[in-house]
Amino acid sequence: MATELRGSHGPERHHLLTGLFGTPDLHKLEVYRRHGGYEMLQRALGSLTPEQIHAEVKTSGLRGRGGAGFSTGTKWGFIPKDVPGPRYVVVNADESEPGTAKDRYLMENSPHMLLEGICLACYAIGAHQAWIYIRGEYDGPYQRLVDAIAELRAAGILGGQPFGCDYELDIQLYRGHGAYICGEETALLESLEGKRAQPRSRPPFPAVKGAWGRPTLLNNVETLANLPWIVRHGGAEYAKFGLGSAKGTRLLTVSGDVRRPGVYEVEIGVSFRHVIMELAGGPPEGRRVKVFWPGGSSAQVLPESMLDTSTDPDALARVGSMGGSGGVIVMDDSHCVVKAAYRLLRFYAHESCGKCTPCRVGGNWAVRTFERILSGQGSEIDLQILDRIQQSLQYGRCLCGLGDSAGWVIMSTMQHFRNEYEEHALRNECSAERVPAHA
Amino acid sequence: MALSTHATDEIRALPARFPEIRSAVMPALDIAQEELGHLTPEAMSEVAELLKLDPGYVEGVATFYTLFHLQPIGKHHFSVCTNLSCALRGAVEICDHIKRRTGVEEFGEVSADGLFSVEEVECLGACEYAPMMRYQHRYHYDLTTQKVDALIDRAREEGHGD
Repeated sequence: MATELRGSHGPERHHLLTGLFGTPDLHKLEVYRRHGGYEMLQRALGSLTPEQIHAEVKTSGLRGRGGAGFSTGTKWGFIPKDVPGPRYVVVNADESEPGTAKDRYLMENSPHMLLEGICLACYAIGAHQAWIYIRGEYDGPYQRLVDAIAELRAAGILGGQPFGCDYELDIQLYRGHGAYICGEETALLESLEGKRAQPRSRPPFPAVKGAWGRPTLLNNVETLANLPWIVRHGGAEYAKFGLGSAKGTRLLTVSGDVRRPGVYEVEIGVSFRHVIMELAGGPPEGRRVKVFWPGGSSAQVLPESMLDTSTDPDALARVGSMGGSGGVIVMDDSHCVVKAAYRLLRFYAHESCGKCTPCRVGGNWAVRTFERILSGQGSEIDLQILDRIQQSLQYGRCLCGLGDSAGWVIMSTMQHFRNEYEEHALRNECSAERVPAHA
Repeated sequence: MALSTHATDEIRALPARFPEIRSAVMPALDIAQEELGHLTPEAMSEVAELLKLDPGYVEGVATFYTLFHLQPIGKHHFSVCTNLSCALRGAVEICDHIKRRTGVEEFGEVSADGLFSVEEVECLGACEYAPMMRYQHRYHYDLTTQKVDALIDRAREEGHGD
């Protein structure tokens, strides 16, 4: 993989994860160890208690980086301490939120940083076995992890006595087979158990009854990759980064109509203007940002006037959106919001697992309505239908968030770009098509 | 028998890797698909028998996931992302171009020469290199018509051989 790196690398104060990215052969155990790799696992197994690691994670304020943003330390605390028998760490590497590539970036560049994080999490919750559920299309990252795990076995870091300590550790890989829904943690568990990936009803929560009925900690790739840094520098040091209650840094994937798309590590709290206009270079010459999705396609869209919004979740909640998966999709004024929403609704309709009626039916209903509008057959009634569908998809009517996400695409694009919907539905016009091509 | 002895031996060895036998179903279907190109009803039945599962259950799993092919695909299969990040950078045009150049008229069908098939896929998680696709178990980035033409030409030179 001699592909050009597009995104953060090299030493900067806020490059907690990506500082070493770009180092030749960083994916190899020898190089990772030369830069201090696995020292924290050795220290943890040799001289720290699981409770001490858990305490550092709680102090750090780290929140899950998969999309939901739940406190990692709190989630770890849900794992029962007194249940005999196996328990598991299951790693969610099923990255598939549209516009999100950061876990791939991380696994390709530094697979051992993830693996060290996994080992630390295992030790902290008393697990000896971890499973990495990696999306099936990730051929490159999968191979990186296969090779890295083989290196660890050969070096004895995975096995019966890592660093001479009596704490058996093993990591297994499991490949997904193409289903967005597997990013949802209970659907992922169903899939890992060899079933159709349909979300489970909760309770019981995975912490109590997860993979194969055992207590299970599910964390995202980026979440776990933070652990070596947190153990080395301490949770308090980590908590110095960020803004308000949102601590640390995040990997933001910036894609779409920007000059320098890439995966950028930023301190939480910088503005989207900084991310989109400075780091990613802004839209092409002569174009303006029309709209952006701040946290993957499931995050409610924001118009250009909200570019100064901060990347912290509280600020995003105040403007009716969320940080989600950190996928920042940028669309300029030459593209049509209604067509973009239609493309995303096709995605949500296709990926609905079919278990809950509002999502199974609503997505397809919305797609057909969009098709009527975009083919010039629309009317005011179709706009009312879309509004009804988005309301029916939302408010926790389904077991997981997929239906809500589909509803938010319709709701937020209609809220900010009602005029474009009316152009299409009432007048069969598209103002985006009238924007002159740039030189 | 649809599957070779080698494949059935590999499938028999799978359950030992998992706490429960059912978890072996997708890795087993992978082995079958790798050998046959797509999953035939006979192959799914054999997988079911080897893992002591109901054939209907195995088929139910296979039909749920997009990476399992229940119809034949071309020897050279293009999975082109047309989700938003790629579409904004010309993915739909690339997809149309591939169809035209390979003689594939509709997604899901195989070109008359049996060499090619094309499918539109959802976000493949490499948005900083859009437009992109997965082709022959590899990601291909910053697609242009010239780049995909070169791949198609090379595939034609290789023909049906390995």
